[in-house]
Amino acid sequence: MRMFGGATQEQIVLVLALLLGLVFAVGLPGFLTTSNILNLVRSVSILGILGVAMGLVVIGRGIDLSIVALMAVSVAWTLQLITAGTPLPLAIVLGLAFSLCMGAFTGWLVAYVEIPAIFATLAMGTLIYGFGRYFLFGLDVINMPDAGRPLLWLGQGTLLGVPVPIFAFAGVCLLAYLFLRYTKSGRYMRAVGDNLLAARITGVPARPIIMFQYVLSASIGHLAGLVTAASVASMNTRVALSTYVYDVILVVVLGGIGLSGGKGGIRNVVVGTLLIGVLINGMTIMNVQYTVQNVIKGVILLTAIVVDTIINPRDEQTAQQGDI
Amino acid sequence: MSASDLITRWRYRLIPDHLVGEILTKRWMDNAIPLAIMAVVACVFASLIPDFFGAATISNLMRQWGEFGLVVVALTIVMVAGGIDLSVGSVFALGNIVALGLLTVAGWPVPAVVAATLGCGAAVGLVNGLLVGYLRLRAFLTTLVTLIIVRAIVDMLLLNYSVAIAATLPDSDIWYFFGEGNVLTFPFSLVVTVTIALALHLFLSRSRVGWHVLAVGGSRRSAHNVGIAVPRVICATYIISGTLSALAGLLFASRLGGGGADTGVGLEVAALTAAVLGGNSLGGGRGSAAKAIIGSITVIILINSLVRIGVSSGANSLLLGSVLLAAVAIDVRWLKNRHKITSKVYVSPTYAALPTAPSTDGDSPYALNDRLRDVGVIGLGSIDGPEDVILDSEDNLYVGNRTGDIIRFLAPDYSQQEVFAHTGGRPLGMAFARDGSLVVCIGGMGLYQVRPDRIVEKLTDETNRSWFSVVDDSRLRLADDLDIAADGRVFFSEATVRYETHEWAVDCLESRGNGRIVCYDPNTGLTRTVLKNLVFPNGICMTHDGESFLFAETWACRVSRFWFDGPKKGRVEPVIPDLPGYPDNINRASDGTYWMALVGIRTPSLDLALKMPGFRRRMARRIAPDEWMYPNINTGCIVRFDESGRILETLWDAGGDNHPMITSMREHKGALFIGGIFNNRVGRLKLEGRDVSWTGPSSYWAKS
Amino acid sequence: MRLLKSCLLAAMFALASGSAMTQSFDDPAREPYYESLKGKRVVFVPLAMGFDLTEGWAAGLRRALEPLGVTFEIRDPNWSTDAGAQAITSLITEKPDLIVAHNPDVQSYARLLKKAEEAGIYVVQINMRSSYSTDAFVGIDYVNMGEEITKRLVSRCSPANGGSGKIAITQGVLTAAASAYQMQGISNVLANHPEITVVSNQSADWDATKAKNIAATVIQQHPDLCAIYGFWDVMDVGTAAAIKESGKDIYLVTEGGGHRKDCDGISNGDFSEVAVYSVPYQTSDMVAMIKQLLQLKQAPGTTKTTLFTPLTFLTKENMTAASCWDLP
Repeated sequence: MRMFGGATQEQIVLVLALLLGLVFAVGLPGFLTTSNILNLVRSVSILGILGVAMGLVVIGRGIDLSIVALMAVSVAWTLQLITAGTPLPLAIVLGLAFSLCMGAFTGWLVAYVEIPAIFATLAMGTLIYGFGRYFLFGLDVINMPDAGRPLLWLGQGTLLGVPVPIFAFAGVCLLAYLFLRYTKSGRYMRAVGDNLLAARITGVPARPIIMFQYVLSASIGHLAGLVTAASVASMNTRVALSTYVYDVILVVVLGGIGLSGGKGGIRNVVVGTLLIGVLINGMTIMNVQYTVQNVIKGVILLTAIVVDTIINPRDEQTAQQGDI
Repeated sequence: MSASDLITRWRYRLIPDHLVGEILTKRWMDNAIPLAIMAVVACVFASLIPDFFGAATISNLMRQWGEFGLVVVALTIVMVAGGIDLSVGSVFALGNIVALGLLTVAGWPVPAVVAATLGCGAAVGLVNGLLVGYLRLRAFLTTLVTLIIVRAIVDMLLLNYSVAIAATLPDSDIWYFFGEGNVLTFPFSLVVTVTIALALHLFLSRSRVGWHVLAVGGSRRSAHNVGIAVPRVICATYIISGTLSALAGLLFASRLGGGGADTGVGLEVAALTAAVLGGNSLGGGRGSAAKAIIGSITVIILINSLVRIGVSSGANSLLLGSVLLAAVAIDVRWLKNRHKITSKVYVSPTYAALPTAPSTDGDSPYALNDRLRDVGVIGLGSIDGPEDVILDSEDNLYVGNRTGDIIRFLAPDYSQQEVFAHTGGRPLGMAFARDGSLVVCIGGMGLYQVRPDRIVEKLTDETNRSWFSVVDDSRLRLADDLDIAADGRVFFSEATVRYETHEWAVDCLESRGNGRIVCYDPNTGLTRTVLKNLVFPNGICMTHDGESFLFAETWACRVSRFWFDGPKKGRVEPVIPDLPGYPDNINRASDGTYWMALVGIRTPSLDLALKMPGFRRRMARRIAPDEWMYPNINTGCIVRFDESGRILETLWDAGGDNHPMITSMREHKGALFIGGIFNNRVGRLKLEGRDVSWTGPSSYWAKS
Repeated sequence: MRLLKSCLLAAMFALASGSAMTQSFDDPAREPYYESLKGKRVVFVPLAMGFDLTEGWAAGLRRALEPLGVTFEIRDPNWSTDAGAQAITSLITEKPDLIVAHNPDVQSYARLLKKAEEAGIYVVQINMRSSYSTDAFVGIDYVNMGEEITKRLVSRCSPANGGSGKIAITQGVLTAAASAYQMQGISNVLANHPEITVVSNQSADWDATKAKNIAATVIQQHPDLCAIYGFWDVMDVGTAAAIKESGKDIYLVTEGGGHRKDCDGISNGDFSEVAVYSVPYQTSDMVAMIKQLLQLKQAPGTTKTTLFTPLTFLTKENMTAASCWDLP
């Protein structure tokens, strides 16, 4: 017990991921090949990008349940615009602008109207999907038109033998890390997440910072959406109504970013993504049925949380009220 | 009176401004916005959809609501205890598939199916409860994971059994009754849900365990510290939630009988929406069954109606999202600003014109003097706020203090003091009953008596509720002074029904008739209000005829007489209509006249302000309470008057050294004992030419 | 300007019809035909709007029925079985003349459709049948389709023809008629072909993302996979992406309504073959059934008609510009 005394959730998850990787490497032929490792990372890189976006919001003590809906709608609109003949760069910029506007609106709802983030983003997710379906496009699945072919490189191309989505993930991670570590607003964001009232009293512009979180997550989400659309050559907006966003939250929280805000960093997202990636890839090779995979995934996630709680028990006296 | 004064007076008499504030402070106002949203949603769709209120439509809606409402109630229980249960949707699907599977594939009888399904739900709830309650995992994350696991289990069950389920139609009347039957024209699921919601309401509001649940939600740490078994309570909420969700799934199964893979997908979001829309707060501390019901009705109307209107699926989501955002935004703003609005509008002054104040100069009976200069002090610095003073037949002196004790100073020199009794409230007026018990008005508590053996007993703390009063005036908030009639009936004044004891001075700003006189009859045990709409009634003193008493209305600066018996029964007559100050306690003097304390002297500025209610209201709204204009209670005097209202003498402390502030006085064996609510002493003044054998108790009770 | 134009048109029309009247040369079938349809109300309850099949049917029905004075409405449950059931339940009380129902699975609507017929509403089921047969069913014979597609896969993948004999199946919702009956057809054929192994048979809930995950799994497990049999083109866009990412040559047969994207999918190599049940064909079948039911005026539930849509296979070879249809 004491041996793990100082272990954080991040370390536990990392150890778990490495252990699993070790077991798979020994037990499964073909796990520890370069192509499989690349495939592993590529398969979770979109999840990872979204995880970074969500992680930034969660560090600021928010949560963004609209991220998937926004990404689906903004990218579907981009594809729709391209189909209708808008030049590719302009279409991407318009889609991004839409994303930013919606992100700012969500942020405004959370920061100024003071609707709880979980609820504001939940409703915004529904609203954005509805808005997109009603005003921007008519079908659930928008296919990548021929004019958008250059985009496909983002999802299906390779650079130095490494798939481009991995670079996208790495780039987003690096930028987000630098942002949190070195920029003023990055540090403010952590301060707001740690203790909103204290941050406000010390003169941090708390509300603009909260708004900024959602703008940030919207823009990263747009990138993730472009990569998604590029990798399957279409955008399925139904993903907005699916439970995909839960996977994103899991990656974030599993890595050790507490939902109560202020704690954790990009490293945690990477670690959480890694565990999920190893898990899914291993089970894929082991020929586990898709539904059974979900059960196993769930149980391992639960184990990770339980182990963390046993090693770092919550103290009844210091637990934050209303921290669910 | 000028015309403008007349208009002002009638305007404030006719328009009951104070009701706004009183309505805002009602507990049920908490549900007002969710209820209003529900009404608006219902009205909008009723106007858009023909036959919205048709019997069949309503019946369908109610049946669907039955299932959904059950899930919302389940979620509410967990939310009230400060958690969240995202797995409700998956458990709902699990209940659906388990019930169908057992019924059709395994061929179990219906009661066994019901028991097994509920057992499944409870088992998932138990897992959640153990993890969140005992291992203290984070609820959001944990139930998110159980949502995924249970959903995957449902998928596996579907994979194996869905075809078999689809192939057989269950052959059981009870089963179809669950899904299609009615109890007294109400759909079965509705009856189940309403029953459970009612049970939940009683549980949360009336039972010990229910209070524990609320306490854990309100503050888990404090609940832990006061010894509530927090893990057990939390675990129980999840078990209940799982069971109810599975029950809802069972009802769904009996209605549709299909093992669709989309069953319960996203249900947790809809249920969460409903719970929050109804006013349950995320993170606990605020929630009720009523809120769950209001929220779930709103959401089910929304969802159902949007499908019925036949808008395209995009517009559907768009509308749903917008309505939810708008509703929650309104609710959030309302919650945040409600107490601000309340504090702004609760103080609601009215027009009050006082008669011209008599002079305190020259040959006026109120003329200033310095007769209290030589007052002796008792217990200087060791007594805090003796509002009333009284002496027993053994000459011991009793006073109340600010910390809730009744202090006894022992005769003959009163240098020794002891705590006679501890009451816990703010002891104000006192009187000795026939049997020697000390009857006390205790602010914040009611009417109590301290028996000679020092046992404190409650006489009464409530009176009859007025029919048309918005504030609940049945509880006694500020019992002030009392006196006891010869037959033992206790008449006591309650200064105001709109403010708590510590806010008594704010009542002056209103100067409305907020007070009343209440009678407690020990022979019947009944408490009844006898006089209402008095302006801060304060001192009460029995006259010598045994049929009436005198009472003072502080902010009205007058003394009146009320007959509670005899030929003039029920009548009120003015005795002194125009005092120069604010009267407080009245007590008998040895020669058949009465002593009265004036707690403060009127000032022209406040007298003028009382005629300008708009000015006082602006003051109450715009500036901090510390800056408000209050009545002067720093300097007062004692007057002696007779039943005709003639002032016989006045005692001032012009120097202000020993006893400037006076709220009460008692004559006892030729001396006057003086109390003051903000004083740190009791005064004693030797009176010249009085009956040195006369005591209060003897005056009341000697003859019998 | 436009007003003037339409006035002129109307006037001309009146003149023309007036001259026709004078000839009094009327078809006796016209009046009962128009009378029987005028003012009728038809409601379509799809799984969800927003994809080619339902949009195609809805557009076709609207185009055919509305000029005849029929009110055509859509109640969109947006993929929720419960919302769909709510919609039908409320329709039963609203009593339209005819419901076109698109079942999510064989069981969920069965009792409701029976009730609807009992309440005097004609029910036409489209493409996916419930366990209760109503006045009419228009759609593909899924058992036959399963058999036909499997036969093709068998001939392609059989080791005798140089295949690995390994195929994977990606179903939609397991309880949907489409899945249940097709599986029946598939096992009918496979029973005679033991050389073919089904290495994976999973449900993707009509979801492309799930389908992609499943396909990726299967392809990694079985690099020598010969073919994937997907149950729906929209979902199999995901399967196709997985195949593309794997870089392997896997034969993908999917099925769909013959929308333009099926042809696109074939031409850009996403799909190898598409089994098509033509949406325009189904729509005209439905329109015919609706017209017949409304004209015969029998009590709902008296007759049970089944109209199976002919099955065609679309490949790169036989595909022409006219093979597919576009949404208006």
